[in-house]
Amino acid sequence: MPVTLVDRLPLPNLKVYTAGSVSLLSIAVYYALSVTSDPNWRTNVTLGRQDAMEQGNEERLLPAPALSGSRNASEQFVDVLTFMMQEPLCMWTLINIAYCSLAVFGFGVQRLVFGQLRVAEAQRVKDKFWNYVFYKFIFVFGVINVQYMDEVLLWCSWFTLVGFLHLLGQLCKDRYEYLSSSPNTGGWAHVRLACLLGGILAAATALLGAAAAWGLPAGRDTFAFMAAECILVLVAVLHVAARYVLQLYEADAAGPAAYYTHLVFDSVSLVVELLHVLHMVVYSNMLVSMASLVLLMQLRHLLHELQARVRRHRLYTELATHMSRNYPMASKEEVEKNQDNCAICWEPMKEARKLPCSHLFHNSCLCQWVQQDASCPTCRRALAAAGAARPHSDAAQRHPNHLFHFDGSRYVSWLPSFSVEVTRVRPEAALAGAQLDAAAAQLQLMFPQYSRAALATDLARTRSADLTLDNILEGRLPELADMVPPEPVIPSVAAPEPTPAPAAPAAAPAPGGVPAPGGVPAAVRVDVATATASSAGPFAAGSSSPPEPEAAPGVRFSGTAEEREALLARRKEALLSAARRRYLERLASLPPATSPAAPAPQAPPPC
Amino acid sequence: MAGSALRRLMAEYKQLTLNPPEGIIAGPINEENFFEWEALITGPEGTCFEGGIFPAKLVFPPDYPLSPPKMQFICEMFHPNIYSDGRVCISILHAPGDDPMGYESSAERWSPVQSVEKILLSVVSMLAEPNDESGANVDAAKMWREDRDQFNKIAERLVRKTLGLPPP
Repeated sequence: MPVTLVDRLPLPNLKVYTAGSVSLLSIAVYYALSVTSDPNWRTNVTLGRQDAMEQGNEERLLPAPALSGSRNASEQFVDVLTFMMQEPLCMWTLINIAYCSLAVFGFGVQRLVFGQLRVAEAQRVKDKFWNYVFYKFIFVFGVINVQYMDEVLLWCSWFTLVGFLHLLGQLCKDRYEYLSSSPNTGGWAHVRLACLLGGILAAATALLGAAAAWGLPAGRDTFAFMAAECILVLVAVLHVAARYVLQLYEADAAGPAAYYTHLVFDSVSLVVELLHVLHMVVYSNMLVSMASLVLLMQLRHLLHELQARVRRHRLYTELATHMSRNYPMASKEEVEKNQDNCAICWEPMKEARKLPCSHLFHNSCLCQWVQQDASCPTCRRALAAAGAARPHSDAAQRHPNHLFHFDGSRYVSWLPSFSVEVTRVRPEAALAGAQLDAAAAQLQLMFPQYSRAALATDLARTRSADLTLDNILEGRLPELADMVPPEPVIPSVAAPEPTPAPAAPAAAPAPGGVPAPGGVPAAVRVDVATATASSAGPFAAGSSSPPEPEAAPGVRFSGTAEEREALLARRKEALLSAARRRYLERLASLPPATSPAAPAPQAPPPC
Repeated sequence: MAGSALRRLMAEYKQLTLNPPEGIIAGPINEENFFEWEALITGPEGTCFEGGIFPAKLVFPPDYPLSPPKMQFICEMFHPNIYSDGRVCISILHAPGDDPMGYESSAERWSPVQSVEKILLSVVSMLAEPNDESGANVDAAKMWREDRDQFNKIAERLVRKTLGLPPP
């Protein structure tokens, strides 16, 4: 897998790279300055270079003597620039600094709009990036077959810009999905995202204009290649924007308006990409080459996707007609008479569809459910088989990865073997969080010396339990010093503020260290009579605070997320300590023989 | 899609907070991820699990409530219907399509009218009355049938463990 391979390369981080680039640039500028400080530097450089300079620079037309005396700053700047453009090493430095500033710009945008990237987002961007680089490499060297360095440079800079927009668009999409699935996001997050979407839209349009301006003179094919990329970015960004608009109008997520919007965007982007790849295959005009092999595989994948989309659409229309024919919309009186909310989404119904068993549901809720199971959600009465085939299985279809395997040693012993796996960025990847957690938990059971966090980080990187296992076995994963107790004995996370836990004093006369969350063995040996706030354990905090009625924290549903989280944690702790107390009371009421180890609990505290 | 799932989860969370069933607490630990909850379940009275507070994790799919959540105890469990990794095997958590044990009628399986509260109540009654025919944990099922005393001893140890007390 190229991604894991690249992950292990010691790539410098952005700071080091920027510092390096800037120092390289300053060296180059210093060199250029020292060369151009000689007024006759133009005559010193070779004739050939002067020819090259003639094309780009009319400044040469200026009379040379004027330069010698009092050159002002701008003239000197132009001189330096001219020199740097001619000198290959300086030229590369300039290109490097351009990339560097693009990276810094991207980093700035990311910090400004997205803040810290989530693991899934970062992973997706990384995947997309390497996929993109791979395919563009194929394009430049396999399809276009460029011969000259400057052509390569032009294409590279073009793809850098387009790829940059692609990645930003992908980030926007991921972030939009995240924001819309999180209950407490501020309006600002949405405003920033919308601004970025507008920016990408403008930039992509500008690039399309550039493609028309520079691509068209170079031939229709070049223009088509350039334009297709821009259109793909535009479509992706517009799709996210359209989803925003739909959300703004509170459109029903499964209603026809939303469905057809998605359909149009999906199919446009698929068709454009398909044509683009097809064009490349035809243009490259060599059917038997590595490049066309890659392209054909991509083509196959795209066709597959398109087919699946069409099939899904057919099922959707079938289902829609089936529903409207067999389950009529409920009349107004029926809806009014029915006081209940829709049993599927728990929201009130303004209009509803009625099943033969006279249960009412939202049209879209019912439509989504019937796709899974042809029965009434409430009474489980079987419905006439809707469209028979289930689109459900369709959605579960796996997107095949492209895997190229080259086993060189089969031919010549010294040839290397390698496989390249190109992962399509899959929509299911969003689910990685939960699975990743489960895998981390399992690995931790096997290797308790690693913390869950360390395992999760490595899993997020490798995205495969096997690879992480390899890393552990080969000692590539650093052991963490702070060991987390493998068994979360106390499930509650202590509330951030000092918890006025409603537990009665001396909830826990627990002998022996009880691992507190955070791994500190809090010596919770709290004596009933001498309960102090000296120990840091969660029970101790409770034991020093005044007792409260037990049900108190449950009765409020706070408006803010932090408060809700804190309240939940507090309620959990209350439940736990109350249970502990009850348990010990019960134990005390039994004959002492049943509890030899536990010190006989003192008289149960008043509650 | 996720939007409607979110609204429904929020409604359920609110209901569970304002009218919690006896001995049950559930909610998202970190609201950054509203699709992962933690629940505390009190072992039902009069059973060998009495008094224990059993923590479990609930993971909701993005298309909830069309698909059921997954539930997994995050404490050590020993019960005929709980896999050794903590996953709970009860019929209402099975999507209408899949039937791992091959004997459930679709009426017992997941439907959007089910809710977190109903799931947790089912789990409580499952703790009280194991179904030793569906062997998620065959050892536990066997012990439940043949050596109830030993089973009760293990349950007692687990109860103490969930309360943070040392084994007797």
